[in-house]
Amino acid sequence: MLELKHISKWYNVGGKPTFILKDINLKINDGEFVSIMGPSGSGKSTLLHIIGMLDDASEGEYNFMDQAVHTLREKQRSQLYKQHIGFVFQAYHLIDELTVYENIETPLIYQNIKSSERKAMVADILDRFQIVGKKDLFPTQLSGGQQQLVGIARALIAKPRLLLADEPTGNLNSRQGEEIMDLFKQLNKDGVTIIQVTHSEKNAGYGSHIINLLDGRVEQ
Amino acid sequence: MLKNYLIVAFRNLKRNKAFSFINIFGLALGMVCSLLIMLWVLDEKSMDTWHANDSRLFVVYEQQTYDGKVEAGYYTPGLLYQELKKNIPEVEMATGFNPGTDNATFEAGEKIMKVKGTFTGADFFRMFSYPLLKGDRNTVLKDPSGMAISRSMANNFFGSPDSAIGKTIRFENKSVFTVAGVFEDLPNNDSRRFQYLINWEAYVKENQWLTEWGNNGPHTYIMLRADANPALVEKKIAKFLDNYNKYLDANFKIELHLQKWSDMYLHSNFKNGKIAGGRIEYTHIFSVVAIFILLIACINFMNLATARSMKRAKEIGVRKVVGAVRSSLIRQFIGEAILISFFAVLLAILFLALLLPAFNLLTNKQIEFPFRSWTFWLSLAGLVIITGFIAGSYPALFLSSFRPIAVLKGTLRLSPTSASLRKGLVVFQFMLSIILIVGTIVVSEQIKYVQTKNLGYNKENLIYIPVEGDLTTKYTLFKQQALKTPGIQLVSRTNQAPTRIENSTFGVKWDGKDPNARIAFTQVSVGYDYAKTLKLSFKEGRDFSLDFPTDSTNYLINEQALKRIGYKDPVGKPLTFWEKKGTIVGVLKDFHVNSMHAPIVPLVIRLSETDPWGSILVRTDPGKTQLALTGIEKLCKELNPKFPFTYQFADQEYQKLYSEEKTVEKLSDCFAVLAIVISCLGLLGLAMFTAEQRTREIGIRKVLGASIQSLFALLSKDFLKLVLVAFLIACPLAWWIMRGWLQNFEYRIPVSWWAFALAGVAALMIALCTISFQAIKAALANPVKSLRTE
Repeated sequence: MLELKHISKWYNVGGKPTFILKDINLKINDGEFVSIMGPSGSGKSTLLHIIGMLDDASEGEYNFMDQAVHTLREKQRSQLYKQHIGFVFQAYHLIDELTVYENIETPLIYQNIKSSERKAMVADILDRFQIVGKKDLFPTQLSGGQQQLVGIARALIAKPRLLLADEPTGNLNSRQGEEIMDLFKQLNKDGVTIIQVTHSEKNAGYGSHIINLLDGRVEQ
Repeated sequence: MLKNYLIVAFRNLKRNKAFSFINIFGLALGMVCSLLIMLWVLDEKSMDTWHANDSRLFVVYEQQTYDGKVEAGYYTPGLLYQELKKNIPEVEMATGFNPGTDNATFEAGEKIMKVKGTFTGADFFRMFSYPLLKGDRNTVLKDPSGMAISRSMANNFFGSPDSAIGKTIRFENKSVFTVAGVFEDLPNNDSRRFQYLINWEAYVKENQWLTEWGNNGPHTYIMLRADANPALVEKKIAKFLDNYNKYLDANFKIELHLQKWSDMYLHSNFKNGKIAGGRIEYTHIFSVVAIFILLIACINFMNLATARSMKRAKEIGVRKVVGAVRSSLIRQFIGEAILISFFAVLLAILFLALLLPAFNLLTNKQIEFPFRSWTFWLSLAGLVIITGFIAGSYPALFLSSFRPIAVLKGTLRLSPTSASLRKGLVVFQFMLSIILIVGTIVVSEQIKYVQTKNLGYNKENLIYIPVEGDLTTKYTLFKQQALKTPGIQLVSRTNQAPTRIENSTFGVKWDGKDPNARIAFTQVSVGYDYAKTLKLSFKEGRDFSLDFPTDSTNYLINEQALKRIGYKDPVGKPLTFWEKKGTIVGVLKDFHVNSMHAPIVPLVIRLSETDPWGSILVRTDPGKTQLALTGIEKLCKELNPKFPFTYQFADQEYQKLYSEEKTVEKLSDCFAVLAIVISCLGLLGLAMFTAEQRTREIGIRKVLGASIQSLFALLSKDFLKLVLVAFLIACPLAWWIMRGWLQNFEYRIPVSWWAFALAGVAALMIALCTISFQAIKAALANPVKSLRTE
C-alpha cells in the first residue's frame, strides 16, 4: 500500500538542523494494523502526518498506492488523501459549530458527492455506530468517547482504504478506550488498513505489527 | 456545500454576539453613509439632465481678455441669441435668459402676491422639456403680452391651470400680461427655480440697455441641430462678437465658448477664463469620503476576523484534514463576509429610510428613497459583494493559508506580520478619522471667520427694502417719514445691496489714464447718507451731501480703486464716469462686497436717488428692529399699497452667500462623527479580543501582585500608541488637504495648530474611553477564574 524510503525530517534551529525523523524506511501492506510506539518527542506524530500527507518530509521518497507523493503538487496530494485516507485525532477535532450529522457529512461535501447520496451514507454510518439519536447534538454536548466515535465515523464516511489515528484513546477513560480499539479491530477485519500512534502497550497489542521509534529512528 | 457554509456562518454569528454586532453595525453605518453620499452625488449629477434635447443644449459663455487678465462668465449681450440663430446655421434654436430670478409682485383680481421668476425668449419651451399643462409650446412666449406660469402660481391666483389660461395678470403694478401657458411645477432635479416666465420683448422694453452690444447681462442658451458638431460650432462662434461689439480691440478681446447646458450646474466656476470646477468638487470630495468611511468599516471587519482567527483555526484545520482545498476555504470565508455584509446592508437600508428626511434637511435636497430604481438595488447588491470581498479577502486568504497540522497540534503561532498588519489598519482608520476631524474643525472655523470678520460695513441692524412700485418715485418722501419713525436711525438707498454688488464697467476715466487701457471697475449707485447708514469709514474726504448740489456728478471710490487710479491727493481730482465729468469727493476704506471667496475689487460709487430698482437701506436702533419694522410696514402700505411689504436682513443675506459651505460643514460634521464611531467600534472589538487573549497573562500578573492601574496601562498602552502614530501621519495630510480647500477663499484663516491638537486629543480620548472599559474589566477580573480555565 505505501512505502517510505530514506525519509528524514528536520528543522533548522539556530542554523543547525535538528532531526525529528532520520532515515526512516517502512513498508506497509494492505490490510495491516500497525501501531507506532515510542516516547514523547520520538517523532511518532510527525511520521503519521507525513504518511497522511499533512506534512512534507525534508528528504526521501514516499510512494502511496503506486504514486510518488513527494513529486505531487499540493492539489493532487489533497485529491489523493481525501479519497483514500481518514484521520482520527486524540482531541477529536470536531467542528464545534456543526452538529454530529453535519460533522460527519463534511468530508463528503468536499468530495462533491450529491446531497441525496450523502444523506444515505451518513444515515448508514450513524446507524452502524449507533449514534442516530445524537445526530442533532453539538460536539460539546457529547462525552469524550462519543465525540471520538463521531470522529471515527467522520474519518470512515468516505470509505478510505487507510485510517490514520493519532492517540485515538489518549483523552478517554479505559472503558471508552477499549470500545474504540475493539471498533478498530473490527474495521481492520473489514479491510481497512490502520496505522495508529499510541503510548499504550495494551492498545498496541490490538495491531498486527509494532514499529518502535526512538529519537527519530526506527528501532529494530 | 453552500448550506454547510451558511449554517456555520449563522452559528458563528449567534455564538459571538458582541463581535457580530460590531461587524454588522459598523458595516451598516459605513454603508448607510456611503449610500447617502451616493444618492446625493447621483442627485447632483442628474441635475438639469432630464431635458429631451439635453445633448444638443448649450450655454454660451464669454472669455474676456483685458487689463492683463483673462476672465470668463455666463453674462452675454441681450442681442446675442437672436444674431446667433440668424447667422449660424447649426444653431437651430436660441433664447436669452435673465439669470436673476427675483421676486416680482403680481396682481390678479383681489390677489396680490410675490412670485419668483424671470424673462426668456420665445424658443424656450421648444428647447427645454418643461411640461406644459396648458398652451402651445411654440407660441406661448411669442406674444409681447404673453407669459407662462407654474401650476402652483395658477392655483394660487386662479384656482386651477384651466381657469388661469387666457386671464390677465398685472406685473409690478405697471404692465399687464396674459397667461398664455401653464407649466408643471419644476421637478426636484431642475436647478432653476422660476414660477413664471415672461416673454423677452417685454424685458427688452423695460431694459433698453439690452439693445447695446457693449452691455452684458442675460445668459444665452442655444440648441444645436441634431447633426451639428459642437466643437466646430464653438470654433465658428469664437470671434462672433468682433462684428458687433465696437469696443473690442487689441486691448479688449472677447471669445465666445460653449458649455453643455446641463453641465452648468456642477461646473460653473471659472478660473483664468476657463471652466474650473464648481459643485462637482464637492461631489468628488464626498465620494472619496464615502469610500474612506466604507473602508474604515471594512477594516474593522478584517481586523476582527484576523484577530479572532485563532479561534477559527481549528475549524480550518479540521476542514483541511477532511479534504477541503484552499480555494473552497477562501470561498467559505468570503461567503461568510458577504453574508455579514448582506445583513449589514439590510440594516443600512433601514437606517437609510430613517435618515433620509434628516439628510434632505441638511443638504437642502428632496431625495426620495429609490424603491423603484433597479439600478439602486443593483448597486446595493454590488455594494454587498464588493464590501464582502474587501472585508473578507484578507481573513480568507490569511486563514486559509494555515497549515492544518500546526493548527491541530496547537503549535500555530500567528506570525508577527499579521499583528503588524492589524496595527497598520488601525493606524489607517484613525488617520482617516483624524483627517476628517481636522477638516471639520477647519471648515467650521473658516465659516465662523467669514461670518464674523469685520466687513468694513456693519451688517447688524440693517434692513433692505426693495425699491419697487410707487417707492421708485416716492423715495424722498419715504425717507423723510421713515426718519420720524421710532427705532430708525438712518435711511439711504442703493441700486445693489452690499452683499451683492456685481455691476462692472470700463467706463471710468481719469487724468493720466492710458486711453487704450481697459480697466474694469465695479460700480454702484447710492443715495445720500450711504456711508453713514452702512457705517463705512472714510480714508479721506466726505460723503455725498445735499449741501453740494454738484454731487450728482461727483464720486466716491474705495482704496482699491485709488490704487488703480494712482492719484496722490485724490480728493478734488477729476474723474469721468460714463462720460460724466466730476470729481472724487471721498475715499472709503476698503469694505467687502459679495463673499469672502472674492477679493475686494476697485469700486466707484456714484450718487443717484432715482434708479427704478435697488434697495432702500434702513439702519435701526439695536434691539428695536421689531418696532422699526412695524413702522416701515405701515409706511410702505401707505406709500406703495399695491405691493406686499417685504424686507431682508443684511446679516441673513450675507449668511446666504455661504449656504454651500454650511452644507459642507454640516455634512463633514456628520461624517467625522461617523468615522470616529466606526473606528472606535473596531477598537472596542480589538480591545475585547486582546483582553480575552491575555486573560491568562493578566491572571498570572495579578497573582504576582500587579496593581489594577498597571494592568490598565498594560492593556491600553499599545492601542494608544497606534492612535498617536495615526495622529502623526494624519497631521501633514490634513494640513495639505485643508490648505487646498481654503484656497477657495480669498480671505481665510491659517490652518492653526490647535485644530490638530484638538483632533488628536479628541481621537485619543475617545479611543481611551473605548478601550478602558474592556481594560478595566479585564484588570478587575478574578485571577483564579481565568487561570482555572487553562
